[in-house]
Amino acid sequence: MKEFASINDILDFAIIQEQEAVEFYTNLASRMKIEAMRIVFNEFAQEEMKHKAKIIDIKEKGIYLVSSEKISDLKISDYLVKADLGREMTYQEALVLAMNKEKAAFKLYMGLSERAPNAELKSLFLMLAQEESKHKLRFEIEYDDMVLKEN
Amino acid sequence: MLDQDIKYLKFKTYLNTYCPYCHQSFNVEKKDNKQLIFKAVFKGEETNLILSPYLDVFEAESNLNIEAGEVLDDILCPACKKSLISKETCCGECNSPVGEIIISALSRLIPFFICLKKDCEWHGLTKSDERKIKLKIPRQDMPEQDKTLRVHNHQEVPYGYTSELASLEAGRCLQCKIPKCVEGCPVNVDIPAFIKYMRENDFDGAAKKIKERNVLPAVCGRVCPQESQCEAKCILGVKDTPVAIGRLERFVADYERKMDLVKVPVIKNKNNKRIAVVGSGPGGLTVAADMALLGYSVTVFEALHELGGVLTYGIPEFRLPKSIVQFEINYLKELGVRFELNHVIGNILTIDELKQHFDAVYIGVGAGLPVFMGIEGESLGNVFSSNEYLTRMNLMKAYRFPEYDTPMPRGNKVVVVGGGNVAMDCARTAIRTGSTEVTIVYRRSRHELPARLEEVHHAEQEGIKFKLLTNPIRYIGTDYNSIKGVECNQMELGEPDSSGRRRPIPIKDSNFIIDCDLAIIAVGTGPNPIIFNTSPDLKRNKWGYIDANEETMETSMPNVYAGGDIVTGSATVILAMGAGRTAANTMHKQLSNK
Repeated sequence: MKEFASINDILDFAIIQEQEAVEFYTNLASRMKIEAMRIVFNEFAQEEMKHKAKIIDIKEKGIYLVSSEKISDLKISDYLVKADLGREMTYQEALVLAMNKEKAAFKLYMGLSERAPNAELKSLFLMLAQEESKHKLRFEIEYDDMVLKEN
Repeated sequence: MLDQDIKYLKFKTYLNTYCPYCHQSFNVEKKDNKQLIFKAVFKGEETNLILSPYLDVFEAESNLNIEAGEVLDDILCPACKKSLISKETCCGECNSPVGEIIISALSRLIPFFICLKKDCEWHGLTKSDERKIKLKIPRQDMPEQDKTLRVHNHQEVPYGYTSELASLEAGRCLQCKIPKCVEGCPVNVDIPAFIKYMRENDFDGAAKKIKERNVLPAVCGRVCPQESQCEAKCILGVKDTPVAIGRLERFVADYERKMDLVKVPVIKNKNNKRIAVVGSGPGGLTVAADMALLGYSVTVFEALHELGGVLTYGIPEFRLPKSIVQFEINYLKELGVRFELNHVIGNILTIDELKQHFDAVYIGVGAGLPVFMGIEGESLGNVFSSNEYLTRMNLMKAYRFPEYDTPMPRGNKVVVVGGGNVAMDCARTAIRTGSTEVTIVYRRSRHELPARLEEVHHAEQEGIKFKLLTNPIRYIGTDYNSIKGVECNQMELGEPDSSGRRRPIPIKDSNFIIDCDLAIIAVGTGPNPIIFNTSPDLKRNKWGYIDANEETMETSMPNVYAGGDIVTGSATVILAMGAGRTAANTMHKQLSNK
């Protein structure tokens, strides 16, 4: 697992992660056949842009808050068959891909928080993990409402 | 004291009287037109009791000796031995118990309040009491096939009301001046008006009144979720059970059909405009009928080899006999609607090509694409989507193999995933085709089951097991890739989220396996993409359903309308019909420049 020397290192890493997420969702949007689906993933890309801006802000001002809000984990992505990035994807496949991406990011930050050398770093990683779990929950709710409608 | 208007009930022709509980006849030959005589058990013996129009005279026509001043104990139905008397108040004259005798006669439950003391001058019923009394008429159950017999056949489960039961139930309607039930009906059937006809024993008139707004009454009377629509709004339901509107609708439609009373209206003002309807499900049939009645020339294109859409391929015979669907479609044929079978629009003809030959096009193709959960093992042998399973069984008549060529998917232990009506249909079909154990696996609690209560009740009666708060996470295969079990998680409902909904969450380390050799996935459906492959201009939402204006059902393509499941995702027959009606209204306005 990645080692960090300072908080700034962590934040730089997180900024890169968020930028990758922006590109991921922009790419995903371009593979959607239906305009409404493209809009959804472009909106997600814009949200990731906001997250990136938020982390840059933390880096510049040095202030961040760890919310005590508990984010539900529906664990839907735990048992879904992994989807690969295809040339053309259905909305269901895109959701599975997005859920797994957010889950991986969440796990990464949680893993880093467990290995953090001090409380300050730990809380920063937890804050980032919480952001990712919110993303995952949003996709899981969408999947829950539409794909698993009658279950 | 006595309200003279009410005191003299006009019972001139009380030819038929019935027990409200077991519906056995009390009939006694009428003595004269001012006395009601009925059989009952009184003082342990069957005897004839007489009620005069004065209500306060109560005599036994037998050797029983009722002495003046004697307080009567009880009066029982001779067949079911249930008490016909409720003693809730005291007589204002003599403080003896006042009984309310409830028997059914003509089209009403007739309550008689009497003092149970012989020779008491009883002071009876007031107008406000009359309203209260109607609340006490029990909602009438439909007779149905015995549960032990019906699991061995595919015949319809409920038999429907008899005319007596229908009249009795119709008698419960309060005939509200501002009827909420009509608001609850997506096609706005004038419910109090058709019930009024029933109360006058004019069932034909009732049928015609329904048909003014609903071209498929026999279908809707069977499969509509009335409990969440018209009946949910019935004022009787606030304190008691609502009028059984759906059962009455079904009775009236069946009566009209059986008595051969269906009259096809003569269509005047025929115009030379042509309408194409894609899909012969309930929405498409509604558009077709409405437009045909308005004088348009209508052609319905059906992809399958039989008409009816989901009514034919989706809903099993035991819930909706196909002869009824056929009968309703024949009515449309007699209206002049043309039907083209085996026409997959999107392949044979595109929407643009249809537009070249027709003035307007309605797309009502439903949501026929199976949806899978996306978990491991869904491609194993003997794992079916509900679409395939029900299509094989209903449309292709697999349950009548080898008479029909379609092999029947069969398992001894069957798991059905999902809690909607489709899941109930699959489970109940499986039990009828020889499966020894059928289990419905649903990941929420009983309270959230999306299926109609009636369907859940019937499924339980037939021995279907329910594993609630249970979620499949993997299908397990044998060495030859056929299913042998489903691994599941035990679930619990989490805290309500921002939408107020409690979502199911797996309990840690709660995994267990249910053995099975057939699994049917009934978690929902999606839009079939065929029609869109050649119509990329048709705007859709992120789930692939057509983006149509809810008020007009217009799509992004001029003169192309859409409605039903292809717009909303899987919903109900009557909602599809409501959308069809809206589309027909818009089409007519635009094509006639009104």
